[in-house]
Amino acid sequence: MTFIEDQIRQTARKYLENDEVSCVIGYERDTRGRSRPVFIESVDQVDRLVWGPDCNLNLASYLHERKHSPGKDQPIPKTAVVLRPCDTRAINLLINEQQVARENVRIIGVTCEGSEINGSLRVDCEFCQERVPPLYDDLILTELPVEVPESADPYADINEMDQWTPEERLAFWTSEFDRCIRCYACRQACPGCYCFECVAEKLDPHWVSIALEVPEKMFFHVMRAYHLAGRCVGCGACEAVCPMDIPLGKLNRKVAKEILELFDYRTGDSIETHPPLVCFNPNERLNL
Amino acid sequence: MSESFEPKIVGFLCNWCSYAGADLAGTSRMSYPQNVRIIRVPCSGRVDPLFVVKTLIDGADGVMVLGCHPGDCHYQQGNYIAQRRYSIMHRLLEFSGLETDRLFVDWVSASEGKKFSEVVTSFTEKVRNIGPNPLRKKAESGIDVLEEVSS
Repeated sequence: MTFIEDQIRQTARKYLENDEVSCVIGYERDTRGRSRPVFIESVDQVDRLVWGPDCNLNLASYLHERKHSPGKDQPIPKTAVVLRPCDTRAINLLINEQQVARENVRIIGVTCEGSEINGSLRVDCEFCQERVPPLYDDLILTELPVEVPESADPYADINEMDQWTPEERLAFWTSEFDRCIRCYACRQACPGCYCFECVAEKLDPHWVSIALEVPEKMFFHVMRAYHLAGRCVGCGACEAVCPMDIPLGKLNRKVAKEILELFDYRTGDSIETHPPLVCFNPNERLNL
Repeated sequence: MSESFEPKIVGFLCNWCSYAGADLAGTSRMSYPQNVRIIRVPCSGRVDPLFVVKTLIDGADGVMVLGCHPGDCHYQQGNYIAQRRYSIMHRLLEFSGLETDRLFVDWVSASEGKKFSEVVTSFTEKVRNIGPNPLRKKAESGIDVLEEVSS
């Protein structure tokens, strides 16, 4: 048991013993030693909770299943969630969009040393300056101070792709999207994707056919990136769950970069600020 | 690129300004390329950027979205919202491999019949130069939506 795991378990125990929450969402090890989400509902199960760099999902996305009352006259369940700094930004977004009430969530924020996908450090984590969650109820500290990397351009790979010709970019995305099997795991893992009925599955209007062809896949991914414009927190859950290892984060980071340049907005900074695409400023004239 | 390439262009025109501007161009006997298929919409804010993606995926060579000038929106704010949306969508389409000139967003008022014919002419020329939509080849295996609409 590591230093971090010990604190996570103690915090979870405190919440469950005091009956402050009905469930703690965290990670456990499966039989093959990989991390997976776990829902702890009783104190004797608390020791299943673990932490490691491969805990790369955004557990805030599970709050959508717990935001309604389970039955008549029953209160909305209260939940504690283990979150990285980028994940807690999603909580700010969800509170702003009135999907989650602050009083129903307890945030166990973990000081982040960077998370890994398939054993290698995530691109966002290489340049991430934010190692302490901007929002938390309990802060889980690391044993040693976390080294913050030197600030560099976090969008270096995006800027490089911007220099390519349209043909090169199309060839790149065609080969990437060609692998997509349209399992929609990226959507399911995303805290920002909570539409009751997704555009990709709507039958009336029938936006996009179920064909496994590049244009249809492109429509789905461009649509998702657009719907997450100004709402993506860059947690990388979509890339982590993608069974075909498609670099979906590139689309989202491209949009995030443009949003930052045009509107000086970063998702999840506060509960008050709305994503820029849901509001407007009559005085601005954008370059279309 | 063969010389006979005629681009198919879909234009989403706001009912209050640009559609009236197109009407004025017609009644004033101004000529503009017949490549553009016009769809009348209540407001440029009604044109979900997904319409544009859908149109391009279904094989259009270019899409134009025309609305009222900022400040002149019949619904007060529609074109401000459209402005923000398309500033992002344009860059996203560019990033995903489509040429910048396949999407054109501008403001044309009801009195600007001349401007309408000019922007349609110049946009058609640009699309003609960059050639057919690379996604079109695949789309042709299905129903040709644009043929259905224009026939």
